[in-house]
Amino acid sequence: MRTDAPSVSANGVATATPKPAPRRRSPALRKAFPYLLLAPALVYLLVITLYPGIFAIYQSLFVVKFLNWEWAGLGNYSSILQDREFWAALGNTALIGAISLSLQTGIALAIAYFAYRDPFIRGWRIVYLMPMLFMPSAVAFIWKLAFNDGRVISDLLGRLGLIEGNMDWLGSIPLARMTLIVADVWQWTPFLFIIFVAALQGQDQEIEEAARLDGASWPSIFWNISLPMMRPVIVVAITLRGIDITTMFTNVFVMTQGTPGGATETMSYFIYRQGFRMFNFGYASAASVLMLVLTVIIAQTVVKRAFHSGKK
Amino acid sequence: MAKARKSRGESMLVRYLVLGGWAAVCLLPILWFLSIGFRPRTEVITPQPIYWPTFSLDAWHLLMSDWPIAQYLRNSVIAVAGSVVIDLVLAIPAAYALARYEFKGREDIGFYILSTRMMAPAIVAVPIFFLFKTLGLLDSVWALMLIYAAINLSLVTWIIRSYMLDIPKELEDAARTDGAGDLTILREIIVPACLPGIITAAVIAAIFAINEFLFTLLIASTSNAYTMSVALANFTGGSDGIIYNAIALVSFIAFVPILILVILIQKHLSRGLTMGAVKG
Amino acid sequence: MASIHLQNIEKRYGGFVGVQNMSLEIADEEFLVLLGPSGCGKTTTMRMIAGLELPTGGKIVIGGEEMTEIDARDRDVAMVFQGYALYPNMSIYENIRFPLRMRGVPASEHDARIRQAADMVELGGFLDRKPGALSGGQRQRAALARAVVRQPQVFLMDEPLSNLDAKLRQSMRVQIKHMQRQLKVTTVYVTHDQIEAMTLADRIVIMNKGAIQQVGTPDQIYSDPANTFVAGFIGSPPMNLIEGTAQNGTFVAPGVTAPCPEYVRGKVTLGVRPEDCHVGGDNVQGMVYGVEPTGDTTYLTVLAGTKKIEVKAAREYRSDIDVPVAIHFDPAHLYFFGEDGQRIRGAA
Repeated sequence: MRTDAPSVSANGVATATPKPAPRRRSPALRKAFPYLLLAPALVYLLVITLYPGIFAIYQSLFVVKFLNWEWAGLGNYSSILQDREFWAALGNTALIGAISLSLQTGIALAIAYFAYRDPFIRGWRIVYLMPMLFMPSAVAFIWKLAFNDGRVISDLLGRLGLIEGNMDWLGSIPLARMTLIVADVWQWTPFLFIIFVAALQGQDQEIEEAARLDGASWPSIFWNISLPMMRPVIVVAITLRGIDITTMFTNVFVMTQGTPGGATETMSYFIYRQGFRMFNFGYASAASVLMLVLTVIIAQTVVKRAFHSGKK
Repeated sequence: MAKARKSRGESMLVRYLVLGGWAAVCLLPILWFLSIGFRPRTEVITPQPIYWPTFSLDAWHLLMSDWPIAQYLRNSVIAVAGSVVIDLVLAIPAAYALARYEFKGREDIGFYILSTRMMAPAIVAVPIFFLFKTLGLLDSVWALMLIYAAINLSLVTWIIRSYMLDIPKELEDAARTDGAGDLTILREIIVPACLPGIITAAVIAAIFAINEFLFTLLIASTSNAYTMSVALANFTGGSDGIIYNAIALVSFIAFVPILILVILIQKHLSRGLTMGAVKG
Repeated sequence: MASIHLQNIEKRYGGFVGVQNMSLEIADEEFLVLLGPSGCGKTTTMRMIAGLELPTGGKIVIGGEEMTEIDARDRDVAMVFQGYALYPNMSIYENIRFPLRMRGVPASEHDARIRQAADMVELGGFLDRKPGALSGGQRQRAALARAVVRQPQVFLMDEPLSNLDAKLRQSMRVQIKHMQRQLKVTTVYVTHDQIEAMTLADRIVIMNKGAIQQVGTPDQIYSDPANTFVAGFIGSPPMNLIEGTAQNGTFVAPGVTAPCPEYVRGKVTLGVRPEDCHVGGDNVQGMVYGVEPTGDTTYLTVLAGTKKIEVKAAREYRSDIDVPVAIHFDPAHLYFFGEDGQRIRGAA
């Protein structure tokens, strides 16, 4: 310690900080403070969600023909619930979504299992990421060209001797749905892969090492140890992806427009078509309200639980 | 010993078959699409697909002469960058409140913010269309900016909140005893300390904004507001059909900066994509 | 420079009582250590003095001014944290400067004061570094400099050395004590490490379960424990506490007999420190359970009945286990505690 140190304290008294008068801050303000911090974001979100919600409910009670709003009561709802196209759209969304989500989960888990302890993981990750980084509209065009307009898939399958001539991918219900699924799986498997790999890399290495010393093989370590440990992560990832799949619109808009015969029409496309192609705004709003109710139910049950377990 | 080594070799073979196979699935369509961007239109749609096309800058010239591509790009940049700024301004204080204060309704408010992310764009499409029509904001980049900000606000808030939760509480206690007030602490201590999270949130929000399709389709009707994403869908030259080589080229122009941004935040990507629920 | 008065302060979290009805006078320029196991309320007490938590009852007076409801930012109190709490995005210079800026110290004074504080903790050469580029000991000193720089009325230190290795802890201990004597700032120091408490404190406050067990100088705490908690907490190895019965001036437990004052009767606990136990004699008849030579001394563990008694034996003492051994207590240093754990004292 320095020899001139004692002068510090003497000096210290002389230059001591001017003592601020102790201020009593308002306890009410202290209590309100977090709400004030949240207010701008909340107001913004309320305007952009609550207002449309109320507007949609209101508009759904009318038959809207351009500027002419005609009171219809629950008429839109009763006709929607009898509308085969509406139920078809709901069914298509569920079916295409379920198949696509299962495929993505399976593929992502499989490649994550092989990739996470590979020395070239950084390279694999960038390659696998790429499809996700194209604009969804561009991806839709890639596959539209590959399947339909450019006939590339047909040609390649033909060269492998699997099919003959050109397939009419939009001519059959399962094939048309399959093109949507292929495009979705190609673009969004990376989303799940990135998350699964991070979860696998983030797990405690010691547990893995202990299991290996106990004589466990890699597949059994993955199946019995890694997978159960990353369950909350899988649940969160699948939930997020699942929700996005149910809103599928771009691929339908670009690739199939709902053909053949509405077999690839999703809920989002149904609402779009009713509203902006047929200008049945009241009807579209009623469909929106029904979809909103579904969303709220799903959010309150699945999502809330998923994010709770994810946090732990 | 020998047996162990053999099974190891086999599993390596399986591993690289799987990893290489999926890499091919990812890359081949991209490479093929890239080749579309640099071939003459006459070689895009043919009775037999052409895998080794003639090199051509047709698409580039077409873009430059027939389409206001610079305008689309500018619209995209203004709308996306503006929306990210709005998001950060709104989300940082909100995330701070959710991460650090005890107050009534915190869980519910946090979940409400999260749940707005779950809403399908189609649900609000009709009302939003009417809202912007009333406000005279149809076909305007400002409307797109507001919409993109709304779409991403929940995501940005939750990502930043997750990073703020990681900052030791001691840091704030220290700043408080040093004489700093709440807003000073947020500005001088918290924001710099969670900068990686803020950047991650901004990048992911920007990507989602660039990709947004449905609202842009409804709101933008001319090159006043067309962004890259929706402009693509309009590269249909009437009787000529879809102009694939131009679409391919434009999608690569958008892809490159996104790829660079994502590589920069790679470490944080999984955490960002799960809104902070998964720590990478 | 100020005295601190805590009057009946209390902290409840819902039904849980963190600190109960605690009163304490801390003199100006005193170095006071709050000592206790984790969860005993010592950190909560300190945080209430800092203003980081508000008490649910009672009064806090610092330097003659009531501060109970005043925010931390408005109290003239500096705190050093266990994790150092250096601002990671600022250089050491900016870290030390932060309290000056926040408290409106004129900018012209900053540089001199920052350098003076940094020199005091021998960190002058590191001012441009970020906290991440410093070692643990350097970070701790930077945190000290940040507390010192604004010349506060009170220093609060919350386990500041517990993240350092043993060697560094010793040298930092000396440095902290030297600095406190030099600056003459009232200091409250929280720790669970009794060596730190004994070496640093003017007075020690021993806490357990949210309540003060004993207040005194290190000597008093060591040689005159108020209850079995204090007796068992202080000393390494701690005091042997043997439950037994006393009557007619004799204490008896399985394998143990010892003289006791006439006024000690019934079920009591005998306390005797390992250094007051000696091999030989007739107070304990037991078996050797273990022998631990440490170099400068040898610890002997004796099993008497089911009770293990620690003995500080001669440096060269060695023995096999399970061999009979007799122990003698120094009769001048026996402590007796009642069934409630409180010390039994004479009629005086």
